[in-house]
Amino acid sequence: MKISLQWLNQYVDLSDVPAEKIADALPMIGLEVEEVLSAGLVPLEHIVVGKILSFVPHTNSDHLSVCQVDVGDGVIRQIVCGAKNFKANDVVPVALPGAVMPGGFAINETTMRGEVSQGMMCSGRELGLNDDHGGLLIMTDRDLALGTPINDCFPPADTVFDISITANRGDCLSHVGVARDLAAYFNKTLKNPVAGADRKAPSGNASNAFLSVSLETPNCALYTARTIRGVKIAPSPEWMQRDLLAAGMRPINNVVDITNWVMAELGSPLHAFDAATIGGNTIKIRQAVEGEKIKLLDGKECTLTADMCVIADAEKPMVVAGVMGGENSGVTDATTDVVLEAAWFDPGSVRKTSRALAVSTDSSTRFTRDVDPTLVDVAGARAAQLICELAGGTLEGEPVALGAFPRADRTIEISGDYVRARCGYAVEDAAILDIFKRLGFGVEDKGNSCWSVLVPAFRPEVDRPIDLVEEFVRIYGTDTIPSEAIAAPNTVDADAQSAQFTRKAANLLAGRGFAECVHYTLRDSAEVKKCFGEKMTDALALANPLTSDQSHIRPSLIPGLLDALRLNLSAHNEPRRFFEIGRVFRPDRTGALREVVSVAFVVLAEPTTRSWKSREKLDVFFAKKLCTEIAAAAGVAEQRLLFGAPDTEQTPLWQKGHSALATDRARALTIELGLIDAKLALSWDISETVIAGEVLLLQDAFKNPPKRARFKAFSTFPPVARDLALVVDESVPAGEIADRLKATANKAASKQFLVEKVNCFDVYRGKGLPEGKKSLAFEIVFRSETKTLTDAEVGKVFDKIQVDIERAAKCTVRR
Amino acid sequence: MQQQLANIVSEASSAAPAIKTRPEFEVFKAGLVGSKGSMTAVMKLMGSIPKEEKPAMGKLINEAKQKLEAIFAETLARIEDAELAAKLGEPIDPSLPSPDDFAGMRHPLSQIREEVCGIFHRLGFTIAEGPELETEWFCFDALNTPANHPARDMQDTLFLPADTKATDAPKKADEAYLLRSHTSSVQIRTMLSRKPPIRIVAPGRCFRRDTVDATHSANFHQIEGLWIDKNVTLKDLKSVLDSFVREVFGNAAETRLRPSFFPFTEPSFEMDIRVPNMGALSNRWLEIMGCGLVDPKVLENVGLDANEWSGLAFGMGIERIAMLVHGIDDIRHFYANDLRFLRQFA
Repeated sequence: MKISLQWLNQYVDLSDVPAEKIADALPMIGLEVEEVLSAGLVPLEHIVVGKILSFVPHTNSDHLSVCQVDVGDGVIRQIVCGAKNFKANDVVPVALPGAVMPGGFAINETTMRGEVSQGMMCSGRELGLNDDHGGLLIMTDRDLALGTPINDCFPPADTVFDISITANRGDCLSHVGVARDLAAYFNKTLKNPVAGADRKAPSGNASNAFLSVSLETPNCALYTARTIRGVKIAPSPEWMQRDLLAAGMRPINNVVDITNWVMAELGSPLHAFDAATIGGNTIKIRQAVEGEKIKLLDGKECTLTADMCVIADAEKPMVVAGVMGGENSGVTDATTDVVLEAAWFDPGSVRKTSRALAVSTDSSTRFTRDVDPTLVDVAGARAAQLICELAGGTLEGEPVALGAFPRADRTIEISGDYVRARCGYAVEDAAILDIFKRLGFGVEDKGNSCWSVLVPAFRPEVDRPIDLVEEFVRIYGTDTIPSEAIAAPNTVDADAQSAQFTRKAANLLAGRGFAECVHYTLRDSAEVKKCFGEKMTDALALANPLTSDQSHIRPSLIPGLLDALRLNLSAHNEPRRFFEIGRVFRPDRTGALREVVSVAFVVLAEPTTRSWKSREKLDVFFAKKLCTEIAAAAGVAEQRLLFGAPDTEQTPLWQKGHSALATDRARALTIELGLIDAKLALSWDISETVIAGEVLLLQDAFKNPPKRARFKAFSTFPPVARDLALVVDESVPAGEIADRLKATANKAASKQFLVEKVNCFDVYRGKGLPEGKKSLAFEIVFRSETKTLTDAEVGKVFDKIQVDIERAAKCTVRR
Repeated sequence: MQQQLANIVSEASSAAPAIKTRPEFEVFKAGLVGSKGSMTAVMKLMGSIPKEEKPAMGKLINEAKQKLEAIFAETLARIEDAELAAKLGEPIDPSLPSPDDFAGMRHPLSQIREEVCGIFHRLGFTIAEGPELETEWFCFDALNTPANHPARDMQDTLFLPADTKATDAPKKADEAYLLRSHTSSVQIRTMLSRKPPIRIVAPGRCFRRDTVDATHSANFHQIEGLWIDKNVTLKDLKSVLDSFVREVFGNAAETRLRPSFFPFTEPSFEMDIRVPNMGALSNRWLEIMGCGLVDPKVLENVGLDANEWSGLAFGMGIERIAMLVHGIDDIRHFYANDLRFLRQFA
């Protein structure tokens, strides 16, 4: 909202305060200044009034003229000019050599296509006066002496503050409102133009000789209408046009300008109808009929819904209440009788309508911020009086005034101690009371530093003692709040376990050479579908996505990481390893969404960098190792994980036969890892082999605090190792045999010594083995806690293992 | 015999340099001092020489043996050196680049998040987390945001379909699910799940239904702060935030609290900073976070007595802080993950 300093000065005398100081003060009382602008003519030197005595076309140009100009100093100057809108003897602004235009352009004597030019004649825009660049600023009919400095021909420049008003400060959507806050801040007197006005409740008068009004909806609490007859529509006076232009509004005609001017002065929107257009001389404030249409002032055709409020005549809606008037009921040059509306519409209703129609106006902005209901009739009376004065009409009949004040003044009980307790620093009672009074609040002293504070209706949001504390701090100055050492008693609390885990996981991966990425949560439905299938896609759709490529919440971090690989491959950044940590979403078996903490990574099997020395390429087991380390960081040991193959039909993301799925027994942690499906990777333009892993943790994984490690003593005696090869069916997982072998070995060695390790160190297929079989070679490590084991002791147990394992698992010992 | 010994030593001495490997050495050594070695043969003759010559002979033999031992030791040392050299390979050229093509790094948003959380950790604030997929009550109602508030519009906030069930964000009643528009919802879940005093920071991802451009992003990150205790005051708010600003932006940073409006704090402020050494943004007031005292209505909504407890809260955008600290001019860089960007903050 634009606030003109000259206009503001009518309500609070700020003439002794520099504009910069006001611009600095406004944000500190909660009125954010977006921009400080200048309206009108800034001081300009060497620009004077001149007369064009004669002119001829430039011989070397088809658009320039060569003019002889008199600026009253006895010298006739020749000036070359490109404008076309003048005639001989026109009076215009002339910038003489030495002048500097508002844009910084310096005027010198020059030669233009062979003709001397001793200055420049100016347009309104070149002077910074207005936006008119249609030609020279013609001042012929103003009777100005030649040579008069241009600044003497126009009012001085105005400072305009473009202020952004927060939702709670509807009272400051007016010059009087801003003046009130500045008066309080600078401790000056507010000169309220309607200070003495009678804020009477609506009379209940529903009709007069010219009009009958029915109020049929609760979305309008208060409605007043005045009839003014015999107006003469003309331009509004110059001072009013100036004010409006400074406040960013376009002058239209006297009646419309008055409604806008009073709105910008007091904050209460008004609407003027051409009385002749009101069918049946009847006004109905009602809800729109579903599907009803109206063509708005700006030419836009709108279809209304039943939750929108309209001002209608006997037949049709004329105005979308509080938002915008219709094309056919407004004041035109032919209007003679005016119906002036001042009303209070429900803020929520106006907001919804304004948003639904995508129409935001000065009026809707104010209504949505809850205008002062006690000011509605006052504003109507003030505008009616101005119309009578400036457009020559007469107010006829009694005003119509229906409804009731939706809210009124309030009283808040507060004590000085309460204010001090919230502030935390010393402040005198007198200082607090002074500020309440400066803000226009009434204060009644109840003794004992307790007060009853009367808050007028123009401040709807000041309701409770804490709101008064804010008012006090705002005006007393936030710069008075001291900054001191902080007392921070221990709350005996730890970081959330999920936060501790993600920090560990991130450091682990960054330490392994992975670059951390951050991608958007919202993904394209086609992408989710191609990676995770249709069922997952259906479960993750948003109700109201903004765009179709951001329609689904992500089930995995891996597609984002593939984006990172693609981007960095195409940029020749030599990418290799990326990771991301974040929340992903998965439906459970019942269809309920789970918010899952995910740690995911991708790595190219081979480097994209050329090097003088080659390294061994990576494979899926690199991912397995990383995933189990990440699981360990979450407190899930590798031996608690059950690894199997994922259903690649359901999750086409993974390459069949080269991927794995694991969960812990509690199913709180899931690991997915393997090669990214080669064809899918190609759809990301990635032809390289991509290894990936994702560790997914439900909130359940963070329920129990991590266990502290308990020390266990270890053996001081040497280990003894034995190797054993088992022949099994090709389809049998090595892990399954290893588990059986571990159990068998433990049983065989029980009570004698420990089986420290059972490790598969070789997988063999081919010569010497039948078709469809493979040989798994295991190393079994034994150790005693009490002595050095002998060959005989170990041999006996090892023999038993060889016999037992053939019974325990479907395998034969290879001898 | 003396001659014999001299010959053995001199032959051994001249043969030794040609010995290159350990097996050759063993053969060489056995040929001299093995059971059938030439030196052994000479020593066997000791028994047959006259008694009076034995001391002199013995001395000669000992001298010869010592010479051979020295040759063996020298040869072995040479072989060991050669073996080590073979094992080590050619000397390296330290000016060659490492063939390892990876260097790990944290994302700048993570670095800033951890830095900020670390600063508040020292003031006794611990990290709390809450769901990104929230309910309308926790995101708005409990935070004193009225039903007709613009932020609750379908145009500004992303909602989930009406039949959505979400296990990790229990509902208050039958409100809708949405993607949280701020981390302030964590205030509510924290206050409902534990008793004051509370001092938390809640970093996390938030969502707005916004078109992506240089300053807007479909999701972004915030750090929320909350301190609930008896007698938490404006002075505490100013002191805590001033201390934070000095740590991140240096001792020369100035701050100001500019009155503003949030439904869940009263009074509400925007904190601005002015820093002398921040490139094009030097010596200008820059908004960095919203803050205020916790609105009594919010305390009531979570069942805390506003006469007994009071609190302060603040919320800042991690992207915003990172952009100021590093001079980044486009928020989209954070989400593109171009290595040329990420490597600058490694």
